[in-house]
Amino acid sequence: MGDNVLEIRNLIKTFPGVTAVNDVSFDIRRNTVHCLVGENGAGKSTLIKILTGAEQRSYGTIRLNGDDYVAHNPKDARDKGISTLFQELNVVDQLTVAENLTLGMEVTTFGFLRNVGTEKMIDVLKNLEPSIDPRRKVSTLSVAKKQIVEIAKAVASESEIIIMDEPTAAISEGEIQRLFKIIRGLRDKSVTVIYISHRLDEIFELGDAVTVMRDGRHIDTRPVSDIRDRSELIRMMIGKTVFEKYEPKENPSTETILKVEDVSNDKLCNVSFELRKGEIIGFYGLVGAGKTELARAIYGVDRYDGSITFKEKTLESSPHKAIEAGIALVPEERRSEGLFTILTIRGNTCVMNMDKISRSGFVNNQSEKRVTAEYIRQLNIATHTMEKETAKLSGGNQQKIVFSKCLFADADLLLLDEPTRGIDVGAKSEIYQIIRDLAHDGKSIIIFSSELHEIVNICDTIYLLYEGVLKERIENGTVIDSEKILHTVTGGE
Amino acid sequence: MDDMAIAVKPKNTFLRGISNESFISLFMITVLIVLYGVAGAIVPNFFLPRNVLNLVMNYWFTIILGIGVTFIMVTGNFDLSVGGNIAMTGVLSVYFCQAAGVSQNALANGLGLPYGVALALAMVCALAIGGINAFFVTKLKVPSIIVTLGTMMIARGVAQVVTQGAQRNTSLPDIFGVVGNASVGNTPIKISVVIMAVLVVVAFVVERKTVFGRRTYLIGANREAARLSGVKVNRHLAYLYLTSAFLAGVTGILLASEFKAGVSGRATGYEFDALVIVLLGGTSINGGFGSVLGTVVGALVLGVVTSAATGLLLSPDWQFLLKGIVTFLAILAQRYALDRRKS
Repeated sequence: MGDNVLEIRNLIKTFPGVTAVNDVSFDIRRNTVHCLVGENGAGKSTLIKILTGAEQRSYGTIRLNGDDYVAHNPKDARDKGISTLFQELNVVDQLTVAENLTLGMEVTTFGFLRNVGTEKMIDVLKNLEPSIDPRRKVSTLSVAKKQIVEIAKAVASESEIIIMDEPTAAISEGEIQRLFKIIRGLRDKSVTVIYISHRLDEIFELGDAVTVMRDGRHIDTRPVSDIRDRSELIRMMIGKTVFEKYEPKENPSTETILKVEDVSNDKLCNVSFELRKGEIIGFYGLVGAGKTELARAIYGVDRYDGSITFKEKTLESSPHKAIEAGIALVPEERRSEGLFTILTIRGNTCVMNMDKISRSGFVNNQSEKRVTAEYIRQLNIATHTMEKETAKLSGGNQQKIVFSKCLFADADLLLLDEPTRGIDVGAKSEIYQIIRDLAHDGKSIIIFSSELHEIVNICDTIYLLYEGVLKERIENGTVIDSEKILHTVTGGE
Repeated sequence: MDDMAIAVKPKNTFLRGISNESFISLFMITVLIVLYGVAGAIVPNFFLPRNVLNLVMNYWFTIILGIGVTFIMVTGNFDLSVGGNIAMTGVLSVYFCQAAGVSQNALANGLGLPYGVALALAMVCALAIGGINAFFVTKLKVPSIIVTLGTMMIARGVAQVVTQGAQRNTSLPDIFGVVGNASVGNTPIKISVVIMAVLVVVAFVVERKTVFGRRTYLIGANREAARLSGVKVNRHLAYLYLTSAFLAGVTGILLASEFKAGVSGRATGYEFDALVIVLLGGTSINGGFGSVLGTVVGALVLGVVTSAATGLLLSPDWQFLLKGIVTFLAILAQRYALDRRKS
């Protein structure tokens, strides 16, 4: 056997309109902790999904121990030696630790369970973490201990590679150290760990090698010891990002339209800021920084302490009051929160402002059709009929329909939560143009995004969020130090 | 790509142009015509005009209930309380109206309220059942199938207690029996059937033409998106449960009047008949899809099967079996047709 446990060659994965993984080749050495970093949308998750069998590659080869490797589904991947610790843990809360360990590998006679293999599993677990009682219900364990149960299961099933997707996102500092100790110990058990994290300090603490990805491409794979510091890594992640498209407003208004003061809830901590008429502000932060929570608080979906004043009136806590006041939200989850996928384009477009197409409660079908046709034209929605079910449209076209909903609501303030997530490059730039035009027409806009270039390209003012706290306010138009920004939102001081 | 493919291949242009709801209604009308033809071929005298009329007239109460249940199911919810509510409202309308203190027999004594007051009070009780449903479904987020199963038994229980498990049919003023038995002019068409027809038309207009109707579909299509789009979901569901209870109450009073009696076992199983015709009409149990017109067609399909079974002199036991099989096949055929259309 060679030094490399995994060899990836010319891997390509295309989705309609997007190349998520673009000709990626690199090797992973045996018995190492191999880190995978990159911004959101860099292609990490797609690569992992191919390895675990959740997605199939479009082109390329993967060799596991020198043999061609194809996984058809996550169970297949595990049988072939690649286990994954997903962010949503794969344990059954109602069962005991021991039952979870043998889950899916039970030995039965005539359908009756036999106690085979449990001992070995429990030994592995004892070895990793003696404090976990195998007879306990998994629901009584902390997230960190549930992770350890999953790691034990992976080790016991003789996985050669364990993929860990942001394992430290939901656990405390002390637990992180214990997890790291276990991960280091795995090397001695001939297990290779592929470690994904947004917290760059962990890479230096834990990693042997690191692979950087950007825009679907492989940028570099190096031993961690060859990387000088955090900022060098950040530079590799963002590359020579040129933010040239931003043009400052000519006559910025001075009228304040929205005032957020000391807003706190379990995901937000004393957030305060102001928004002027016609201004575009952007909140940048990684997944879990509190962006969606802030959008939902302003829109009146989630409760909060503190006060939010819009057009000099305190906002009440309910979406329909927010809409009445002149606020509209493009939600983060397009399909589950924004769109009525089983209804047609016509059935979606006017829903946020039915009064405008109805008279004493009766819908005027003619004006509904007129409005829908107008938005299909204006936003360039690709369809041959407005009677098409929105489930059948592409992501970009679906998002344009969510935008039409909000535009038709005649809102003066638009909250855009990840407005271009999962849509292709062409549709993205169309949506940026829509946003700029809206601001030009005097609408105020707040963008919540985990894509830095998006924020820098269109926002007048940028706020950095980290774990629910506003870290910094940056006026756009000055020199944007993207390294410093990334340093801040990954938890650097 | 997808758009192009459909654009070059305009097959079924006639069916493509209509909504999926209309497609299902048309499909079920076809099923109805076929069933009617088959029944006419094997059952003697089936094609008599009186039979056709009876089909509709015998199902007026199921259709009235079906209206409320359709709207509620379009939002993705259930209302199983309607049958019990009919019994309760009927029994209470009798009890409130019966003369007070006229007999040794407890079941012959009521509250002696004036006719109008008695009916109004009975309707208040009917609406209370709807209110309970609405409260538990919207405020406490209990699944509607559980809530309405509970209120179904509560309502039935009230009817049982008030009638001591039997019925109340004495000491009633003459006027009590008028509305349920009155006909329009010299025709055999009962007032109840006219009320049903009016309600169907109103429901159809509400469903197709009003903002209220639209919002009903939005809630069923995606409750969270509806809320984020400014629909007052809880209030809307409350209105629907109150409406459904109102319709059940009206039906209860009409039936009590028709028989001039409040019977505790009245309308047993009607909640399921209503459910069956709604499903036969193509309404999706997941919400977001369905129509009142479909429900009416569903009632007719069930009616054809039942009267064919009666015409063939099958015993009621066999009728049940036959109804079950037809329901099953019709719904399977419907799903198949809709899937074919969508793909």
